Amino acid sequence: MNKKLVSPSLKRGLTFGIVMIIFVLIDLDVMVATMLSKLFGANVIRGSIPDVGFMVLFLILFGMFVGWSTSSDDAKPTTKLFQALVAGLTLGVVLGLFDLILNQLIVTGTDVRKYLAALAPESIRLFLFDQGAISPLLHLGLFTVASLLGSLMKILLKSESASRFFKGVKSGYQGLQAKAQANTPNWVKKYGKFLLFLLIGLLAFFPPRIWGSYNNYVVGLVGLYVILGIGLNIIVGLSGQLMLGFAAFFAMGAYSVALLNAPLPHGIMLGFWPSLLIGILMAVVAAVLLGLPVMGMRGDYLAIVTLGFGEIIRILLKSDLLTSFTGGPRGIQDIRGPTLFGQSFSSDIDYTYIILVVMVLSIFIYKRLERSRTGRAWLAVKEDTKVAQATGVNIMTNKLLALCLGAAFAGLAGGIFAARNQFTGPNDHQLMVSMNILSILIVGGVNSIPGIILGAFTLKGLPEILREIENYRLLVFGGLLVVMMISRPEGLWPATRPNIEKDEGNKLKENGAPGEGGLND
Amino acid sequence: MTDPIIQVKNVSKIFGGLTAVNQVDIEVPEKHIYSIIGPNGAGKTTLFNCISGFYFPEKGEVLFYGDPIQGLSTNLVAWLGISRTYQNIRLFNNLTAVENILIGLHRNLKTNWFEAIIHTKRFQKEESGSVKEALRLLDYVGLKGYGDFLAKNLPYGLQRRLEIGRALANQPKLLLLDEPTAGMNMNETAEATHFIKRLRDELGITIILIEHDMKVVMGISDRISVLDYGTKIAEGNAAEIQANPRVIEAYLGPGGAALSEKYKKQRLSNAKSN
Repeated sequence: MNKKLVSPSLKRGLTFGIVMIIFVLIDLDVMVATMLSKLFGANVIRGSIPDVGFMVLFLILFGMFVGWSTSSDDAKPTTKLFQALVAGLTLGVVLGLFDLILNQLIVTGTDVRKYLAALAPESIRLFLFDQGAISPLLHLGLFTVASLLGSLMKILLKSESASRFFKGVKSGYQGLQAKAQANTPNWVKKYGKFLLFLLIGLLAFFPPRIWGSYNNYVVGLVGLYVILGIGLNIIVGLSGQLMLGFAAFFAMGAYSVALLNAPLPHGIMLGFWPSLLIGILMAVVAAVLLGLPVMGMRGDYLAIVTLGFGEIIRILLKSDLLTSFTGGPRGIQDIRGPTLFGQSFSSDIDYTYIILVVMVLSIFIYKRLERSRTGRAWLAVKEDTKVAQATGVNIMTNKLLALCLGAAFAGLAGGIFAARNQFTGPNDHQLMVSMNILSILIVGGVNSIPGIILGAFTLKGLPEILREIENYRLLVFGGLLVVMMISRPEGLWPATRPNIEKDEGNKLKENGAPGEGGLND
Repeated sequence: MTDPIIQVKNVSKIFGGLTAVNQVDIEVPEKHIYSIIGPNGAGKTTLFNCISGFYFPEKGEVLFYGDPIQGLSTNLVAWLGISRTYQNIRLFNNLTAVENILIGLHRNLKTNWFEAIIHTKRFQKEESGSVKEALRLLDYVGLKGYGDFLAKNLPYGLQRRLEIGRALANQPKLLLLDEPTAGMNMNETAEATHFIKRLRDELGITIILIEHDMKVVMGISDRISVLDYGTKIAEGNAAEIQANPRVIEAYLGPGGAALSEKYKKQRLSNAKSN
């Protein structure tokens, strides 16, 4: 076969070989095998070594992935198999050579943990399937077969008959859907959406009571970041102002609730709800104070100014100057939680409810803003400020409005955050918070609610869930981010524009009879 | 002759040492199609920018229905009823065609953000009304069926039309078109010319046009001004401009007038012999 075909496959095999070697060096292979064994119901004690079978399974899966990804989409089946064969053999040879070294370590009894803290002899033995000198051959065979298997799978799943099968399933499903649509009675059409929301609401009611306080904490954190993400999205995504000091508004809300509703340093004890309202107002006031002088700025300059603003607020909160007023670096403790109808409403379950309700409300408000005159004006300003202005949009007021509304969401989230933690200090409002929120938008997808939720989950929820694999948490997380940004640069769930013309046409068709009017979104 | 809708009086715009527009006077009566022509760099677009508020002219006055508008910001100029298109198409690229027109309608809508959140009756009525109006305009400029395309994905000719549609949404009294047929083939140009005429005849909009295609200019203009190096060198109807030696020299260089006279005679004699 020609060189063009061999060389990319060779390179791929080599790359994945090196990836696997790194996995072994940091003991990630044993980690994955352990997780696989957990998946199959084995009871694993921390630090124990899983069954060899799971290591084999992991390596087979890895090999299959290599085979799958090496076989190019448009090649003939035989070519695909050949590519996979080359990659698999390369992978096997690379790891076989590596095995020889590892085996030598075992034979001579050298303990490399001095240099590679994670590489225990047990782990090496597991990787070598405990077979000593013949393990290179075993690996060579395993990876070749697995790679071919992966390629075969691709050939089968992507073949024409398979795609015809999937198409058939899809059209059948669509037919069913159309039939169901035609047969649904009128009241379902009218109230179906409402009922669905009710059902989801009921479903959301029970889990917080069941799944324990840790999950409540994680869900609450994700929810708060969704609210923050929506707020920042109004500023960055809709009106196109790059804001890097968003945590300042968050701090405004948090500190308002803290100062007005904690015994120290002022002991005002205004109650949670009024102080939350004041927190939102304070955030808006801060937005106006920041917004007025910087309205003329755009892009990088605005980013730098807002970044400075965020830092100023944080340093002020921390400074000696204001220690008597804000509690200084020690922050404010014992923030009282909310009450509802005279009852305390501050257990972790209650906070989850509050956050979920506020989150849904925020999404609702965002949706309505987006599809209004104001929302469109923001988008126009983002796309082309000068043309938007020449089309009759007042740039100043619209930009300032976006800043204020975004800040209001941040103030809201900040207030709840402070009360939930019963504590807030300058460290809660660092630059990293602003960066995290911006990352949520970029990772999830700007201007897309599902994207923001997914982004918040990926960036704030996933690290918490991944806590189980402790040492590898950041590694896995970073790897996920890199892979994701390469494969989905527009975010996990990119935004789409509404199909107004089509929708309007459909509505005219449906509402042949007069009666229903207006726009329902 | 009706009252002038816009008067440009003695306007100069200076960039550093360069006088881009030099003491230009223009007066456009209502419901006229007025063309501004001139070689590249003559200051035509700069004059447009002075009228639409992008530039603040150093000297002179721009009067809209007798009121000075120079120095007003562009959104206020738009609110008064002056819309424009751009030489290099400037649409809101990542929004759909309908949304582009909806943004053009911005001036005519009244509801604020709070009404949008609580969905008042007024908001719903206005919103559905504006969608209907946008679709009507979409149809009017010939983009029916393209409404849900992103503006950047539309073919070139349709982008030009969409830009005009967005300008029309503003319900302008005066429309400034900056090279509306640039980059179009002959059929498209003929269509566009017809369309511009329709705008005037059906909607009663006064139109100022910058154009390089002489067929278009001579075909539809009620009056034409010629700019060269920022100065107005001629004004008149099509026939007068064609006969003006200064105009010909501005385009063809010195001696051009005599040359063109020669070719014209040749063509006439050819026509006679045919």
